[in-house]
Amino acid sequence: MNKDPIITLENITVDFPVKGGIPFLPKKRLQAVSDVSFSVFPGETFGIVGESGCGKSTLANTMLGIVKPSVGEVTFKGKKLFDLSRKEFKSIRRDMQMIFQDPYSSLNPRFTVFQVIAEPMIISKSATEEEMVERVGELLELVGLSKDDMHRHPSDFSGGQQQRIAIARSIILNPDFLVCDEPVAALDVSVHAQILNLLQDIQERMDITYVLISHNLAMVKNICDRIVVMYLGKVMESGRSEHIFDHAKHPYTHALLSAVLDTNVEEERELVVLKGDIPSPIDPPKGCRFYQRCPYAMQGCRTIPVPQVEIDSGHHVACHYVNGFPEGDKPEDYDKRIEQAHEEANV
Amino acid sequence: MEEPTLRMRKLKVIFPSGRGIIRAVEGVDIDIEKGECVALVGESGCGKSVTSRSIMKLIDSPPALTRVDELYFGGKDIKDFSESEMRKVRGKEMAMIFQDAMEALNPVITCGKQIAEIFLRHHDMDKKEARRETVKALELVGVPEPASRAKNYPHELSGGMRQRVLLAMAFACMPKLILADEPTTSLDVTIQAQVLNELRNLQKSHDVSLLLVTHDLSVVSNLADKVYVMYSGKIVEKASLRQLFEKPHHPYSIGLLNSVPKLSDEESGFEQIPGTVPHPMRKPEGCYFHPRCNHATEKCKKEMPPLSAINDESEVRCWHPRNMEREEAMT
Repeated sequence: MNKDPIITLENITVDFPVKGGIPFLPKKRLQAVSDVSFSVFPGETFGIVGESGCGKSTLANTMLGIVKPSVGEVTFKGKKLFDLSRKEFKSIRRDMQMIFQDPYSSLNPRFTVFQVIAEPMIISKSATEEEMVERVGELLELVGLSKDDMHRHPSDFSGGQQQRIAIARSIILNPDFLVCDEPVAALDVSVHAQILNLLQDIQERMDITYVLISHNLAMVKNICDRIVVMYLGKVMESGRSEHIFDHAKHPYTHALLSAVLDTNVEEERELVVLKGDIPSPIDPPKGCRFYQRCPYAMQGCRTIPVPQVEIDSGHHVACHYVNGFPEGDKPEDYDKRIEQAHEEANV
Repeated sequence: MEEPTLRMRKLKVIFPSGRGIIRAVEGVDIDIEKGECVALVGESGCGKSVTSRSIMKLIDSPPALTRVDELYFGGKDIKDFSESEMRKVRGKEMAMIFQDAMEALNPVITCGKQIAEIFLRHHDMDKKEARRETVKALELVGVPEPASRAKNYPHELSGGMRQRVLLAMAFACMPKLILADEPTTSLDVTIQAQVLNELRNLQKSHDVSLLLVTHDLSVVSNLADKVYVMYSGKIVEKASLRQLFEKPHHPYSIGLLNSVPKLSDEESGFEQIPGTVPHPMRKPEGCYFHPRCNHATEKCKKEMPPLSAINDESEVRCWHPRNMEREEAMT
């Protein structure tokens, strides 16, 4: 891939002031995303995986210029997103769209389907009334609904159909870049496949770059070309799909993979059940953010910051256990260490 | 043979409304043996939650009209139990775990007090004893520092912890039957793994029967012994876990199983069930699944198939069951 990236994030840190606290003292800050960098290339599907509170939605909002990062730079098609004037920003926003998790709350209940889907066109003043009607009809058919549904209201549709309407709205301005924030999490299992197939279909037809956000690794597996795994605002592991699924190194990725429930009853899988809950992102530890729940946590993990180390071309892991501490202590073979840890646990 | 924990025959629940009648549950039979985990699987709107609530008689009537031919629980006929009689059963012999812990718990009472309430109500205990039992109950479900957690209000705990508080409440009196309605849907994946693990260990070690209501077949694979698949108010397939996962017979079960994304999948497409669940007021004629079924014939459009046994381990409601031995399929 030697094309220019469509969007680049450099050292993005987003933090929010926390309400309350002691008056006159500096407010505590919640660090939702901390020092995240990556690029997304045209035509690919990029996955962001993590549990709630890991900062994946904040990151999505930053990519679209909704949330301003406290540190770092977002470059979309060669332009720095947060240096643009209001007017420039408005015109560039047409090329980037978003699909939200809950279709019902993202559609205005008082609008008809036509109004919902045509709204981006009305705002951008790019078409006449007849053109809009025609375009909305086309899109409704593309997403598997019928033209006549245009005059009904969102509440007349089931969850899956509502999500189809939301998809139609997001692609009406022919965007190049689409962020899907948990597009199927609020829907029934049997509808998941329909929506994901539709998204893939649209990508092929319209050549859109996707960023797909999810908590389910199995869902992401066959759609995404590259994946980042996040935990508490930090990237734990990133790489191409096969890196993450066949050669996962980070203990957190292992835990996530093992938490994916399968319908295979034949095979007894080894379950990695993490202890404890996701800690609060206020005052995170200096070292590895995962150390409290990590089964292989070592003394230094708490205090020594973890660098991203490239262990294979394009495969980055941030873990002391895999890479060894920065000074002294040479990195050993990961599998050997796991074996050792298991033996120690058995003794 | 021992008496089953639950034996229910022909449960029907109807919600009359201004615009028509919603037949939420249409003749559902459920048997749960002692110490068995039975799963009730279906999409939203298929009547699975209504079924589990009617077992506990939690469906208000009016507006609903409930009728059941037989309802035996722990050897007793509870079909005609009054509200006050049911109150003695609920919590003590039959308990429920709800989906959303934040809504199930009272936000202005500490978690400990809410658990202690069960002991005070069903056992002859004073407050001190109840408090001690509460801490024990919390410890049982794997809550760290149970004594101080008991003093917390629900909003002070994380989602996983709240769900454990509900587990503690359900297991407090060691009931015969626990009804778990989507116990892990609102949790994160790694927390879901923890809670499911806990639930399975408790269920097995205390020999409690469990009815697990869920839309996610993958949750079932780790827990259940027997699975009922429900569609539009009717049971469409009833089978042992192994049978269902290896040789599902009903096209709907096959569709549900295929739509779970798997890590072992190699292809990039997703297998899908076309169409959507029928509206409960406008159910199609004949087999309710026929508009979405690839194998539907004329017969399917006219007649509802009966739930018939295929072998010892499974029953299916379909005119043309799949995955059959060749000779049988020809007939």
